[in-house]
Amino acid sequence: MSSDREGSGNVFGATLSRRTFVVTGGALVVGAAIVGPRLMRKGAAKGAAGGASGKNSLDPSLASSWIEIHADNTILIRTGKNDFGQGTTFTAYPQIVADELRVPFEAITSVVQGDTHQTPDGSGAFDFLGGGTPNIRKAAAYTYQALLVLASTKLGVSKEALTVTDGVVSGGGKSVTYGELVKDQQLALTIPVSGDLHGIMGLRVEGDPPMRPASEYTVIGKSFANPVIREKVSAKKTWVTDVRLPGMLHARVVHPATLGSTLVAAGELDKGKFPNAQVIVRGNLLGVVAPTEWEAIQAANQVAQATKWSEWSGLPAHDALHQHLREKADWKTTAVAKGGSNTGDVASATSSASKRLSASYEMPYMKHAPIGPTMAVADVKDDGTVHLYVHNQNPQQLRGEIAMMLGTSPDHVIVHAYPGAGHYGRSNGGNSGAEDEAVILSKAVGKPVRVQWMRADDMQWSTQSPAAFSDVEIALDASGRMSAYRIDHHMPAMQDDRPVGAVLAGMPTMPAPSAKGEFIGSTVNNLSDPWLYAGVPNVSEQGHGTMQLGQEASPIAVGLRDHSMRTPGQYQQNYPRELAITEAAALAGKDPLQFRIDHASEPRVKGVLEAVRDASGWETRPSTERTSARGGSAPLRGRGVSLMFRSGTYWACVCEVAVVPDTGTVTVERCTVAVDPGIVINPQQLKRQVEGGAVMGISHALYEELPFDEKGVTATSWANYRIATMADVPPIKVVLINNPEVGSYGGGSEAANALAASAIASAVHDATGKVVRRLPLKPEYVKGALQV
Amino acid sequence: MIPLKVNGSSREVDVAADTPLLYVLRNDLELVGPQFGCGLAQCGACSVLLDGKEVRSCVTPVSQVGDKEVTTLEGLPARWARQKGLSAIEASGMLHPVQQAWIDEQTPQCGFCQSGMMIKATELLESNPSPSASEITAAFTTSGPSPHLCRCGTYVAIREAVQRAATLMTKGA
Repeated sequence: MSSDREGSGNVFGATLSRRTFVVTGGALVVGAAIVGPRLMRKGAAKGAAGGASGKNSLDPSLASSWIEIHADNTILIRTGKNDFGQGTTFTAYPQIVADELRVPFEAITSVVQGDTHQTPDGSGAFDFLGGGTPNIRKAAAYTYQALLVLASTKLGVSKEALTVTDGVVSGGGKSVTYGELVKDQQLALTIPVSGDLHGIMGLRVEGDPPMRPASEYTVIGKSFANPVIREKVSAKKTWVTDVRLPGMLHARVVHPATLGSTLVAAGELDKGKFPNAQVIVRGNLLGVVAPTEWEAIQAANQVAQATKWSEWSGLPAHDALHQHLREKADWKTTAVAKGGSNTGDVASATSSASKRLSASYEMPYMKHAPIGPTMAVADVKDDGTVHLYVHNQNPQQLRGEIAMMLGTSPDHVIVHAYPGAGHYGRSNGGNSGAEDEAVILSKAVGKPVRVQWMRADDMQWSTQSPAAFSDVEIALDASGRMSAYRIDHHMPAMQDDRPVGAVLAGMPTMPAPSAKGEFIGSTVNNLSDPWLYAGVPNVSEQGHGTMQLGQEASPIAVGLRDHSMRTPGQYQQNYPRELAITEAAALAGKDPLQFRIDHASEPRVKGVLEAVRDASGWETRPSTERTSARGGSAPLRGRGVSLMFRSGTYWACVCEVAVVPDTGTVTVERCTVAVDPGIVINPQQLKRQVEGGAVMGISHALYEELPFDEKGVTATSWANYRIATMADVPPIKVVLINNPEVGSYGGGSEAANALAASAIASAVHDATGKVVRRLPLKPEYVKGALQV
Repeated sequence: MIPLKVNGSSREVDVAADTPLLYVLRNDLELVGPQFGCGLAQCGACSVLLDGKEVRSCVTPVSQVGDKEVTTLEGLPARWARQKGLSAIEASGMLHPVQQAWIDEQTPQCGFCQSGMMIKATELLESNPSPSASEITAAFTTSGPSPHLCRCGTYVAIREAVQRAATLMTKGA
């Protein structure tokens, strides 16, 4: 293809060019050019310059298009963001593009996502709506302007005199379709981009193209169905679990006996029973491959029985977890994070307080617990090229990690993205467990290898959401208003993105989180729960971080590895805050929902609280002291409320519970969630996201606590890591607040899972007069708190 | 060779007799509706119908299937067509009402568990055409070897989809 261009023009900082080479059909493709400093994480893979060039990458300034407008008026969009079931890339993204381009939703006939060789940007499967301007929106806005330029030339009418309806540009009594504008031409629009393609945040579209005012939206706001649901439900979709390559071997990995064991002697394979199997050892990584899955499973079991690992017991006992965190963990080495809303003088306000609340709150380790254990298929070719077939929240970061592991450049790694079981954050840093192991084993045997973790591997060798504790002090003045609020959050490092197979095999990885680490590779516990009670004059929020438990003591540098999980960090920070606010309201003799409204100034905070109050039938009254909670088989009932702001969206939740004092059993009987994301893009999809999140939140609140001992995780299956079932799910009412005047849209698939715990704990308090400050609210903890 | 009746067809597989049915379906017969979730009959992702009864294919040795008919997600449309006495032409391209309800209600999030959920819903609705909310909950929690687990938390949407499917099936009668 010729690179000669003509007719170059500047479009709000983007460059429109018309190449002389004409391909059949014609198209306008929107690529990317790198501008500005790249944000490279230390230790992250260096290689393809921001993904801008090199083989196996689309050339972002030319062919790696975000958006293609075809001569037949169909439109294709591409995004590196990989759907994890919320459907945003298949519903909200086409809706956003359709509105920016002034075309119907149906004009966007194809969404290409995730694959590293055919998408333009990276970043993780989180924050899809990008604070209201996701990359795809800006790319569409640039594209629209370029189309106006083309139409202006074609029609001989000034841009300002043009109008566009359903992809037809009109002006001066003439009109032309987008398809006609690009027909028989090869047009390229180069837009400015910054960032690190292989970093967790990926590339970001820069510049300031004019974007369509929300008041003109015609596609956003409607409930379009997610087309992928039909494919999945009708068994037409190829899942990652379905990928089979010619000559592929099945593998199982025999993971070490503890989170600090080294391999003493690999077990000998019983060749009589498993004639086609093979054992692969790389450092402390032990894999078993076989042509059939059943032979691989059985052979791995046999080898595991015969393998000897060194002893290790470097974790605190589970019962001593919070004592360990409080008394033995090092919170001094890591810099203390300060809240952005810190103000006034908390100490003096507290010393002159009329009443004071001083309390500590404890949260457990939890699992992401995907329904399908992690798996991947790798095909390492003779020429060093690696093809990886995965379900992954950040394929571009995975690509960098695999390249680093192999000492090659990301150009040599192609990650193919497929649907799979939800990860809830586990792989947003590029790996979920099996990807690197599949590569190592494929390279060893010279054939494609499919590594499938068994349920126990997934419980014991994946990362966890870190435990945490927070100390809170709240001062009330004589009128019962909060005069001071202090909170100190404590949590081990939350983002260990090292591929565990590479760690076991002794191959290169990024560093483990440490006090010196950069960005989220640091142990710093950043404040992630925006303060919403602006009426409190003295506020001090601090975050304290430390190393992951057992990592330094583990000879293999493993220990309890942590990873961000849905609403990461904010879950651990919002629970103590919201329960403490409820306790402060009780101390003041005030209704906890009205107490929140009375301390807020942001109208959307008040609005979301009023919405959840009205929708739940909330009775405004203070929680009263109950004396009957010590015993009895009759359920006590109460209600509680919680509040959060996340990714542009305001959330409030009311849960109503029944507590049986004799057993400590808590049942959620009703749950109401109010959501104000600004503009609601797709009501039906948002409602389903909120319901799902709320159910996960109930599961977190009532059941989830990772069991472990000094050696490692003792959960091996769903029998010892319980999650909510249908029987645990109450009627859930979702109230969507469409606030178009906000002019932007916030996220919807995080936060909902973090609202229930504090609302339920507050409801238990309302029901019983007792406060259960330790999660989960399982019967033994609740019963214990009721006896105090 | 082990003979199997799957989704209305007779098949033969050359596998060890103790191979779990799940691996035979997925790897030998390329029927990939059922998913591997736990291998322990604890989650329901691998569910199939065996003569209309929901079983966990991950713990069902292929040799125990015998002459019972296996129905996977892929076989639901043909199963419905057969029950309604539709011709092959009429049946082609159609979905089982349970599948249609799952689409109408936009039930799945990640969808990994939903094959098993739809199998369970089909079993329920074939024996109880208009289940109450509590009967639906019982079917998905206490009727089998374990509750059917959904980590994305789509239980509300599943309940609504079962009710919609019940309506669709009654209408189609």
